[in-house]
Amino acid sequence: MPLGWATDQEEFFESRVRPLLIRKCYECHRRKAEGGLRLDSLKAILMGGASGPAIIPGKPEQSLLWQVISQQHAEIAMPPAEPLKAGEVRVFTKWIAEGAAWPQAIRSSRAGPDPHGITDDERRFWSFQSLRPTEINKAKASLDDSARNPIDTFLTQAHQERGLIANGPAAPPALIRRMTYDLTGLPVAPNESAEFTAHALKDRKQAIDDLVTRLLSSPHYGERWGQHWLDLVRYADTAGDAADFPIPEAYKYRNYVISAFNDDKPYDQFIREQIAGDLLPANDDDQGWQQTIATGYLTISRRIGVSPQNQLHITIEDTLNNLGKTFLGLSIGCARCHDHKFDPIPTADYYALYGIFSSTIYPHAGAEHKPYRQDFVYRVGDREANETLAVFRNELNKLRKQERAAFERYRAFQTEPIKIPGYNRDTAWQEVLELRSQIAVLAETFPPLETAYAVREGDAGNAAIHQQGNPKALGPMVQRGFLQVLGGQTLENPSEQSGRLQLADWIADADNPLTARVIANRVWHHHFGRGIVSSTSDFGVRGKEPSHPELLDFLAAYLIHNDWSIKKLHRLILTSDAYQRASQHVAGNAEIDPDNIHLWRANRRRLDAEQLRDSVLAISGKLDLSPAQAHPLPHYLTYYFRQHEPYVGDFESDQRTIYLFRQRIRKNIFLDTFDAPDGNLHVGVRRPTTTSLQSLYFMNSAFILDEANRITSRMLDANPDASTRVAWCYQTLFGRQPEASETEQTQQLIATASTTSGEHTAWSSLIRAMLFSNEFLFVD
Amino acid sequence: MTIHRRRFLRSLAGSGLLLPGMLSELMANEALPDTDPLAPKPTHFAAKAKRVIFLFMTGGVSHVDTFDPKPVLNSRHDQKHRDRNFYKGSGWKFRPYGKCGTEVSDLFPHIGSQVDDICMIRSMTNLNGDHFGATIGVHTGSATFNRPSMGSWISYGLGTENANLPAFMVISAGLPYAGGQVWGSDFLPAVHQGTRVIPGNEPIANMHRRLETAELQRTELDMLSYFNQQHLKDRAGDSQLSSRIKSFETAAGMQLEAPELFDVRQESQTTLDLYGLDPDDTSSFAWQCLVGRRMVERGVRFVELIDGDSGVDRNWDAHAELTKYDRLARNVDRPIAGLLQDLKLRGMFDDTLVVFTTEFGRSPFVASPGTDGRGHHSRVYSTWLAGAGIRGGIVHGSSDDLGDNLGDDEVNVHDLQATILHLLGMDHERLTYRHAGRDFRLTDVHGKVVHKLLA
Repeated sequence: MPLGWATDQEEFFESRVRPLLIRKCYECHRRKAEGGLRLDSLKAILMGGASGPAIIPGKPEQSLLWQVISQQHAEIAMPPAEPLKAGEVRVFTKWIAEGAAWPQAIRSSRAGPDPHGITDDERRFWSFQSLRPTEINKAKASLDDSARNPIDTFLTQAHQERGLIANGPAAPPALIRRMTYDLTGLPVAPNESAEFTAHALKDRKQAIDDLVTRLLSSPHYGERWGQHWLDLVRYADTAGDAADFPIPEAYKYRNYVISAFNDDKPYDQFIREQIAGDLLPANDDDQGWQQTIATGYLTISRRIGVSPQNQLHITIEDTLNNLGKTFLGLSIGCARCHDHKFDPIPTADYYALYGIFSSTIYPHAGAEHKPYRQDFVYRVGDREANETLAVFRNELNKLRKQERAAFERYRAFQTEPIKIPGYNRDTAWQEVLELRSQIAVLAETFPPLETAYAVREGDAGNAAIHQQGNPKALGPMVQRGFLQVLGGQTLENPSEQSGRLQLADWIADADNPLTARVIANRVWHHHFGRGIVSSTSDFGVRGKEPSHPELLDFLAAYLIHNDWSIKKLHRLILTSDAYQRASQHVAGNAEIDPDNIHLWRANRRRLDAEQLRDSVLAISGKLDLSPAQAHPLPHYLTYYFRQHEPYVGDFESDQRTIYLFRQRIRKNIFLDTFDAPDGNLHVGVRRPTTTSLQSLYFMNSAFILDEANRITSRMLDANPDASTRVAWCYQTLFGRQPEASETEQTQQLIATASTTSGEHTAWSSLIRAMLFSNEFLFVD
Repeated sequence: MTIHRRRFLRSLAGSGLLLPGMLSELMANEALPDTDPLAPKPTHFAAKAKRVIFLFMTGGVSHVDTFDPKPVLNSRHDQKHRDRNFYKGSGWKFRPYGKCGTEVSDLFPHIGSQVDDICMIRSMTNLNGDHFGATIGVHTGSATFNRPSMGSWISYGLGTENANLPAFMVISAGLPYAGGQVWGSDFLPAVHQGTRVIPGNEPIANMHRRLETAELQRTELDMLSYFNQQHLKDRAGDSQLSSRIKSFETAAGMQLEAPELFDVRQESQTTLDLYGLDPDDTSSFAWQCLVGRRMVERGVRFVELIDGDSGVDRNWDAHAELTKYDRLARNVDRPIAGLLQDLKLRGMFDDTLVVFTTEFGRSPFVASPGTDGRGHHSRVYSTWLAGAGIRGGIVHGSSDDLGDNLGDDEVNVHDLQATILHLLGMDHERLTYRHAGRDFRLTDVHGKVVHKLLA
């Protein structure tokens, strides 16, 4: 019998027995293993629990399981709540009588030409091909070739073929402004601009090299590029769902990401740590702990459903969706219910990955009906944590029981008023509050053990296909493994591990045709405003084809052969002519290439939300450039949020925007107005908009008004003599010197305004107008 | 230069928001039609509708419980279906309304009372069965790629009648599935994207002047004009720069007009009663409907009123909680009926198109008997139209006896979009925008005008 085809008995099991086991037994006899009995594998069933083996294949009447479900056993009757119907018992009778078939896990699509297979045509799609060998060789050769930036060789050819004449280099002040925003998200300081300009006039190449070195080693580099990563992984500080419980530990993952960029952590290692950091070797405890924190990437998926196990399939779908888009540029989630309509991802592949994450424990951050957190990771390990906390937990559990009981009494008033003299809804609520305040007092005495919002290994096992995505309609089991079109590696069977470690390796493999291309393209996208593949998170059939496929392969190979150093890739790009071009519009070129696909000029780009806020605060002198730590959240033992009373956190901060508290269900109006992602969706490309709401924000918001006043005071303090003020404004707000005519005209504007509103106010108007201006908001 | 535009600029100057110099400069720009993407444009042919109010119910309204009665389904309630679980009949009674006798369920008695003016479509289909895909499908014609929203196309095609307000406005308390993409302009110039209004005390953030005097603001905007003109000198041909200059102009106009727009206390008690609105309650759909009417009255072309967001207790998605429909329907039924009546009273019904739709219907089957919910169902569901150019009192198309499959006369989202454009005087095949080397349309390569719906 070919692999993948079920026997009649196996089919009977899948269609009749397994659904019953899931519906009627698994609540207690799977992970919980009540009475020591698990019913989720034949091995476990034969081994049995405290009362002995659960079945004897071929002999239903002698099987304990049959006895208890058919109410024939003297002491035990199962399921406890409601006996099975006669027909349901007959299903078990037949199954045991026929030998208790239990299908081996299969990869149904792996064998032969079955309907779930992948065709050769599909395999030939460009993004599934290995990197071109010629580009790999060029990348290797370029490691010690400093003569000509290889990027320009590719683009020059594209220009010549089309008759495009590329713009010359941008003027030094424009270039340093562009580079500083690109790499740090901050405005260039006047003295930096002046020094660079002077240096560039003497030795442009050296000046740029030095500038790139300085910017890449700035701690603010990670704050800029970390934000790009946080967009992809839909980072927020709360757990979503209707009650939006805060997660005090979430920031640790945010800071991990920032450090990873600052430390130039090799990208393949960055991948491994986020998927399986807890399982990787570490040189010391600190490194191990940081790697554990890195798996916070996975825990972000735990934001749907109101209880720890409820909606696990949606949580895992969220993981797979994000993992596919972020690392591979593929939408895997489509394969949950059916074979992917466009990309070669059969449903079996989805469940091969699914099993890896159903073998993983996601922590629960609290939700309306299950407000208690669970499965967070303790730095000292579970055993020591349990010992340390045992006494406190005993006390806590007592109070919690009382609190839940009191809360239930309070809620009961909604349906049937309890008639006890002197006891009403208010007194019931007072009782709840009193218990909660006792818990809050106890919380303060809890030993503050270090915790992370991170995953851990769970009970390892393969997953069955959910037919049409329905977790209650289980199909064949699928061996845990990787996407077939990317190699189709599988775990050894049976494996006691979840498979995250292996998955991390499969994704981070230099031979994986997608991983390096996808990240190199993302880096390119952020430098040029458009990826070589413009659909940066879709390298599938519905995505966009690469505009310069050879260049993309070269960049991917360059990254791999530079030990996956993102900073080296930055340097390569930033030192190219392509990056340094002026942004001028040239009609002749625009006719040939209106969308600037071939980069004959630099793309002019609007400051994004973070750059805008950080810039205004930096210029006003209010920006606190220190890296942020935890948000001042209340103790996690005091959370009882509900959909009607969701958590609401407003923390004023003068730190960089990446450090602001982000809630999933509440939008930050400023960030929203300026097109920052809303924290629930993976965002690879932000789409800047121009709206009158943004202009109203400039004209009428308290933020702009206050900061403009601050800038005015700063400017007046720094320039007691009026003659230097205009230059200060241009240098500080526009990053350049004014032309002589501009100085004159600007002074004229001031003079005119002063006659009606006084000089101080005139300067403040000028500064506001400059903040409103296109020159401030756009980067050439 | 149009009269409206002229009036707008004068109003800015009159209110001290523009210096005379700036005014003349803007007036001069008016001679060049390219510089004002929002200037009213001629239609392809005579329009029946001048404006649209688009009512969008987020989550997927069950057709078999609202506008598409299914006695056969009801008679098989709880019985096992051949291959797909169990039949689930509707818990709500349907009854005929009006002269035409179109049946509507007890969820919508007020809308029911208006059926003689309504064209009921019971053969609507969407492209996709997921909230995200279906929501952007009905708005943009694409369930996968980002595309401009219908309101953006209409803003692009017709411009605005009131330069103080955007041509496309959306009133939405929360974010629907797919968020702001629902009103995004994508590759169309950004001035055409929907401006979102959030019900509450400051529906448009920062709409009130914070500076002490209008004169100060005028000084500022004049200085801004200087800096932007300087900047533009070497940077011709960049539409994002001119769009942003334009956006300050619109913002100044909004600052003037918006407070008045949202002041529903100006309405008579009779009108408030029509919508069932307590004027202090800005959080209800009634407020959205009344403000929607005030917007179209002031020349906004396309007003979208969104009910619900992606939170399941606040929208029409009902996998296991159909009983919430009583509450949800109560929130929208009377206001929508009130809106139709109010438009009639004001003589606006004949040139205002009202569309009621959702991303999909809900399945007539459930996995187990007793389930108080239904799955997504985009194969067939219900939508209705009323007002400008619409044949009232008819039912167009059908689903099968169970509400499961399409019966007659499919109307897919492209057809709906083509028909809306047609009523606005635009040929959906001629409303194109050149992007990435080809001419794009709202309806892509699809869509046919459904003439049977038209009066």
